[in-house]
Parts: sequence; structure tokens; C-alpha cells
Amino acid sequence: MKDYQLAWKNLWRNRRRTLITAASVFFAVFFALVMRSFQLGVYDRMFKNVIESYSGYLQLQHEDYFDDPIIDNSFEIDQVLINDLKEDQNVKDVVPRLESFALAASGNHTQGVIVMGIDPEGEDRVLNIRNRLVRYKLKDEVIDKLINDTIPERTKKLLDIFRNEAYTNAERMMQDLDISEEDSASILPVIRRHASFPNNFLTSDNEEAAVIGEGLSDYLNTDIGDTIVLIGQGYHGTSAAGKYVIKGIVKLSTPDVDNVIVYLPLETARYLYAAPGMSTTAVISLNSNDDDDILQTGIRLKDRISDPLTIKTWQELNALLVNQMDADNKSGMIMIAILYLVIAFGVFGTVLMMMAERKREFGMLVSIGMQKHKLAKIVSLEMLFIGFLGVVAGSIVSLPVVFYGNIHPLRFTGEFARMYEDYGFEPIMPTMLPDSYYIWQTVVVLIILIIAITFSTRKIFKMNVINALRA
Amino acid sequence: MITAISWKNVWRNKTRSLIVIAAVTVGVFAGVFSMAAINSSVLQRIDAAVNEELSHIQVNNKDFRSSTDVRNVITDYPHVISALESTPGVTNVTGRIIIRGIASTAAKSTGVEISGIDVNKEREMFKLYERLIPGTGSYFEEETRYNSVFIGEKLAKELNIIRYIITDESLEYLAEEKVSSAVISKLETLKGQRYTSDKKLVKAYEKLLDPSEAEKYWWQIKEAAWSYREGSKLILTFLDTDNNQTGAAFRVCGIFRTNNDMFEELAVFVPEDELRLLAGMEEGTYHRAIARLENDDLTKSVTREVESKLPDYEVMNWKEIQPDLAMITDFMGQIYAIFMVIILAALAFGIVNTMLMAVLERTRELGMLMAIGMNRRKIFVMIMLESIFLSIVGGFAGMAVSEVVIAVTGKTGINLVKYSEGMEAMGYSAHLYPTIDIQFFITTTILIVITGIISSIYPARKALKLNPIEAIRTE
Repeated sequence: MKDYQLAWKNLWRNRRRTLITAASVFFAVFFALVMRSFQLGVYDRMFKNVIESYSGYLQLQHEDYFDDPIIDNSFEIDQVLINDLKEDQNVKDVVPRLESFALAASGNHTQGVIVMGIDPEGEDRVLNIRNRLVRYKLKDEVIDKLINDTIPERTKKLLDIFRNEAYTNAERMMQDLDISEEDSASILPVIRRHASFPNNFLTSDNEEAAVIGEGLSDYLNTDIGDTIVLIGQGYHGTSAAGKYVIKGIVKLSTPDVDNVIVYLPLETARYLYAAPGMSTTAVISLNSNDDDDILQTGIRLKDRISDPLTIKTWQELNALLVNQMDADNKSGMIMIAILYLVIAFGVFGTVLMMMAERKREFGMLVSIGMQKHKLAKIVSLEMLFIGFLGVVAGSIVSLPVVFYGNIHPLRFTGEFARMYEDYGFEPIMPTMLPDSYYIWQTVVVLIILIIAITFSTRKIFKMNVINALRA
Repeated sequence: MITAISWKNVWRNKTRSLIVIAAVTVGVFAGVFSMAAINSSVLQRIDAAVNEELSHIQVNNKDFRSSTDVRNVITDYPHVISALESTPGVTNVTGRIIIRGIASTAAKSTGVEISGIDVNKEREMFKLYERLIPGTGSYFEEETRYNSVFIGEKLAKELNIIRYIITDESLEYLAEEKVSSAVISKLETLKGQRYTSDKKLVKAYEKLLDPSEAEKYWWQIKEAAWSYREGSKLILTFLDTDNNQTGAAFRVCGIFRTNNDMFEELAVFVPEDELRLLAGMEEGTYHRAIARLENDDLTKSVTREVESKLPDYEVMNWKEIQPDLAMITDFMGQIYAIFMVIILAALAFGIVNTMLMAVLERTRELGMLMAIGMNRRKIFVMIMLESIFLSIVGGFAGMAVSEVVIAVTGKTGINLVKYSEGMEAMGYSAHLYPTIDIQFFITTTILIVITGIISSIYPARKALKLNPIEAIRTE
């Protein structure tokens, strides 16, 4: 009989113990995986939100702009430079922007804002901004009308919680209002009739119009067709002032940006700031957004540009968010470490019991001629089998949960969702599909097993056969 | 009698029992301690919110919060004050003028919220004056020709009032902080250079130091180079009651440092008289009345009472103003329970395994006990008690260890400097002083006993199913 066969048979001599120990490993692995998956999924989504609605994966900047984001640290960008950058195999598009601060006023309300001059088409290609236009808004008068129309009582209650909420698509609104797919056929037309929001995106490069964030529009108490006045400081200290008709309202998933953003067409912004031909940043969109590819592309692009220019990655652009997520990530890892520590004790306990219980058997085997190293090998194999049984079972059982959570993310509804949004988070928790974190669980369990195996091997080699036989 | 037997049984196989007990100890300690750390950061946040930023209850004109117009004042201030003061539980009341404006220096400008305060009253009610950075002046104590303003460190950095300069003193400070002399001598070449932001400082010394040195000492270097331009002035501009732009120069009388970047960046304090004059507001008018309560627990009941007395005003407590904070405090208990249940569930596997061993190896003994007339209920209780003892001993040991560690770290503190940037941006301190409520220990004890009972069911049932005749015959 081969060693591994012997080990496998030994396992089932005490079926209960094997199963309980494997179950404890299974529990830890399953739990760690599901928790990690949600945690990583949420970070991923948060980063994606801010990257895909605002910063982009890579940006071309003037080297002083990052520390001192003023319009004087801008640069001239022309088609030659853009074409040169596009020659890189991973670069899909380069879209220049002119970004600066201004004071926005409408009626009696004033707010400091970020003015972003964009190429409407390019920006839409890169960041898909058109999809973020508000399609439905539950304004007070809309809710009044809806409540008098034919909708279920439950929806009326939820409407009150989501007063003044804006939606970029009907699905999300249906989810917040807890309307099932079957019901939506009858309810959606009613809501559509009252809550639809007429909205347009910028069309030309130089029209005198603005698209603003939904949070900002709330604060300034403005609607489509109203005018906002922007006052700020232009290029090299000139004063900048202009008035623009609000053409559209977008809802960005990052509230920090949503509350302060004003989009202008690029040429209009350049005219406002007296900075013809200048850009403060250019968003570079990539074919592959893999972490490693982004890094490599950044390094390659640095060779193509000359001195005052530099390339920033999304990690550098969102350093604060990266730091916050890192802190949160560590706390999640500590939690899992505690879990594994507890499980490790359980495994050691089992090993200890097994060694004590089979002392006589081991003594016997050695006395009839079994080599100690062979015995140690069989015992080690037994432990590895138990460990891997747990890891494999935990991984397999976690897969449906992880895949399901990725397609149908956990979604908070009702009051809880509102609270979450007020705090600046999307009330959605997606999972992350299996990745290196699956391998890490195996590594951790392996480390626990190695410690246990070291213990059992030492025990076997130090065993006194005569004493063992008498046990 | 059964209890004594169970207790003795636990110690028949010392090593085995000790391993389980150690596992429970470690698990309970880890759970309680990490909860104490999280708890401390939440408590610090609440403490800062109540004692420095918001107080317990705020009363505003109904339109004030939505439009922050200077004219939206509390129309009947004396009535509001007497309504607040006559409510039991309220200890202190004051008024604030609140105006949104722009603060600027020669270098930069940024939006701020200017609070006109009654300095003496605020000193009694808030602890913000304790947050003054030593060496940056005082909390409105000096008499000056200029109007005085008390601002946050973050804003001071934003406006270039705080800069980073490496001087002889900063090098001495580094030497005191036990920074290696090699690093200090490298930094000496930067002496006299001014940096307007910490990032620029980092950029400058990164070229000189090894990455490992920069990584190790960045905090100390930043502290050492921190420099405050004394007697700095800033201009505050805002709209007055006639909607005309107005403003004046203010001298920075002191700078405060909190753990909340948003607050440090936005809040600016000036004595109320100066601000009222500039804004053209009538004598005795305020935008907000603020009340302090005897303790945090009264918040909800007092808010409701004040609300009923002042139906024409917006009455909000700190939990309503910062719903995220309320959410965290309200869910703290649940988070802890879930956390502990997961750990204890993992522990239960170990206990079940051990107890099962204990039952199976004693098959003969248990059969004997049954044969001589011990009833099954007693056997069941005996095994269950053994399991409870295992978990309780471990649990108490774990709680004792965590109590000691919490007491020690609660004094020394745990410094998560690396994450200070991210945490302070959200208003949380990166310096934790773990502390835990006695309630947590009670919950933990109950959970541990439940774990002991649940994990004994399977082994105890196994024992009950033994047939005495067969059991006696087993080897």
C-alpha cells in the first residue's frame, strides 16, 4: 500500500474527528472568503466609481499641478502630442480637460465649485458621462402627484423616504422603491409620467451651456434652463466671469464630486479662464485596466513626454481614498487573522489528541520495523488531507455565493439605503470574483498545517518505543 | 456534586483541556480587544462632535440650513433661549452668528463657515480651546488692534499660514526624537528652505534620504519642520444683510488641531460683536442657539421636548446633524455581537472535538456510572457542565487578559500614524485609546456560556446513547 493510501484510510478510522476538524477549517475558509470577497468587491466598486466618473486611470499633467492645482500650472496640448501618446499599444484615447475652481451663484445661493472644461464627445467616450444624466427625479411636487395616483401604499411610504432622490435609470429607482419586476409593468408608467426628467448633454465644443452635478443643483436650488454665474481667477491672474444656461444635470456616484462639479465645453472654459489652447489635465483611457498594465503603460508614456509634463496613476490621483481603503482593508484582515488563529488552536488540539490516542499504535508500528520517517510522513499526509478537505470544501461552497453576489450585489433598501447615501457611500455591496485572495486562504491553512506537522514529526522522532508500547 | 465531578473531569487530561482553554482565551481576547479599539475611535469621534463641533442640540430658523442666508436669523432669540433653559437636562445655552464666506491670504483663498461666538460662554461649553496648538497664540486672550480669528490647522496650511521650514530647532527636535544622526546631517542641507505643503517637503527630502529612512522618519520630519508664521492675517469676505459684499482683515490669534479635517478646513471663529457689526446685523440676533446637556443619553428626550416648545424652529440634535455618527453608535452593539458570534462559532468546533474525545475515551467509565444507577439526566448535565467550564475558564481568562491590555494601551495609546490622513479626513483619530463598556463583558459572558451549551449537545447526546452493557465491555 502506498503512503498516501495508508494516510487516507487512517483518516476514516475516526470519521467524526476528521470531519469536525475539516469542518472547522471549512468554516474559517468559507467565512474568510465570503468576507474578503465582499470587502474587496466594495473597494473595487468605490475605486471604479471615482475613476470612471472623474479621475480616469491615467492622467497627463503639468508636474506642479498635482501639488498646486491652479490654472497657471497648465500646459499646451496639441494633436501631435495626442497622436504620439496614442501610438502606445495600451492607450485607447487621450482627452484633454481644463479644470479650475470658481464660485458659482444662482439666485441667492453661492457655492465653491470645480469647473471642468471637457470635450463633450471625448469625455463621453472615455467616462461614459451621458449615462449619468438624471432621468427621473422624485421632487416634492412629483411625489404629491404620485401619491394621488394609483400606486401601492407601500411605495407611497418609500417615496417619502426617497424624497428628492434622483436616478439615472429606472432599475435603480424600482429597487429603491422596492417594486418587483412583475409590478413594475403597471407602476413604472405612472412614475414615468410624473417623475421623468428632461435632460441633455453638451453637444458642441463651444456652446455657452453647462451641465452640473445633481448635488450642486440641489444646493443652488436650480433646474434645467436656469442660469448660473461663475466667478473665478483665470490664467495668470486675469479675472474670469461668465454666465451659462444649465442644459443638463448628472448624478455622479461619488458625492464629493457630485456636490461641486460644473461641466463646461472645453473651448467655453478656455475662453472663461482666458487660457486658449491650454489644458490642466488629460485623461488617458486604456485598453487594459489591469493594475500591472496601468503601471507599465505609465512608465512607457513617461518616455514619450518631455519635461514639465508627467503621468499620474489613479492611485496617486486618489491617494486619500486609497489610504482610507487601506486602513479598512487592514481591519478586515485582522478579523480574518483572529478567525484563523482560533481555528489553528482547534487543529493543534486535534493533532495533540490524535498523537496521544495513537501512541501505542505508533510504538507497535515502529517496533515491528516501520521507519520513523515513514511514519511521520504518513501522519503529515493525514493532516494535509484534513486541511485540504476543509480548504477545498470551503472554496467550492463559497463559489456560488461569490458569483451570485457579483451578479446580484447585496443592496440596502429603504431608510438604510438613504442613510448610506448620506454618508457618501453607494448602498450596494458587490462581491469580487475569485482572485488571488482564494490562494491566500490556502497559504494560511498550509502555514497552520506546517506548524502542526512540525509538532507531530518531532513527537514521532522523540518517541521511546518501549514507553509507547506500554501506554 | 455533579458540578464538582465535572470540574475534576476537566482537569483529568490537562494538556487537552488547556489547549481548548487557550483557544478560547485567545479568541475572546482578540474579539474584546479589537472591539475596544474600534469603540475608542467611535467614542473619540462622538466626544469631538459633541464637545468641539456641534454640542448636543441646535436650534435654527427653519430656512437657515437650506439657504444659509444671513437674514435667516432666529426672530425671537430671548424666547428660544428661555425655552431651552427651562427644559430639564439643559446645562448651558449660547447663540452663534453663522455666515458663509471666503477666507483669503495673499497666497490663496478658500470657502469657510464663519462663526461669531460669545467667547466666554463658548469656553464653558466647548473644549475647542484645549485643542490650541502650543506656541500658536491663545483662544482670544490677547487684546489686539485687529479683529481676532481662531482657525484650524488644515485651513492654516491651505492658506500657507503654516509652512514647513527646516531650522536649527527642527534638527534639535529630530535629535531628541532619536532620529539617526546620518539622517539629520543629510537634512542639514535643506536648512532655511521653505515649503508651502508637506508634499513639497517630502519631495525635497526624498532625494536625499534612502527610501527606508524616509519611510521611518516621515512623521518626525514633518513635525520638526512645521512652522507657523506668527501674527498672520487673513481677509474674511461675505455678504451682509443688504446683500453687499463686505469683509475685513483678521489676525490669527490661535490655531487648533483636531482629528477632523472637514471641521478644521471649514470652521473659523471670531468674537460675535465684530462679526455682527461687519454683517450689519441687529443687536441681540443670532442664527443658531446651541444647548448643552448633562449627558449624551438625554439627547433624544430633550430634543423632543424642545421641539414641542419651539414648533416654528428647526430643532436638531447631534445625531440628526451627523446621521453617520448616530448609525455607528446605534449599531455598535450589533456589530460587536456579530463579531463575537463568528469567533465563538469557530471556537465551538474545537470544543465539540475535545468533548467528543472526552466522551469516547470514557465510554467504559460512563457505562459503569449508568450501570450503578446514575441517571441519564445527570450524565447529560455532567458533560454539559464540563463543556461550559472549558469555555468559561477560557472566556474569563480572555476577558482578564483583555482588561489588562486595554488598561495599558488605554494609557499609552495605539498610534496608527500611517492611516492618519485617511482617518482624519473622515473625522476619526488615528491615535486610539482602547476602552470598553462593562456591558460588553456581560454580553461576552452570556455568549460564551451559550457556546459552551451548544457545543456540548452533540457529545452529551453521544454519551446518552451508550448502552451500559456494551459500554462496560469496551476496552
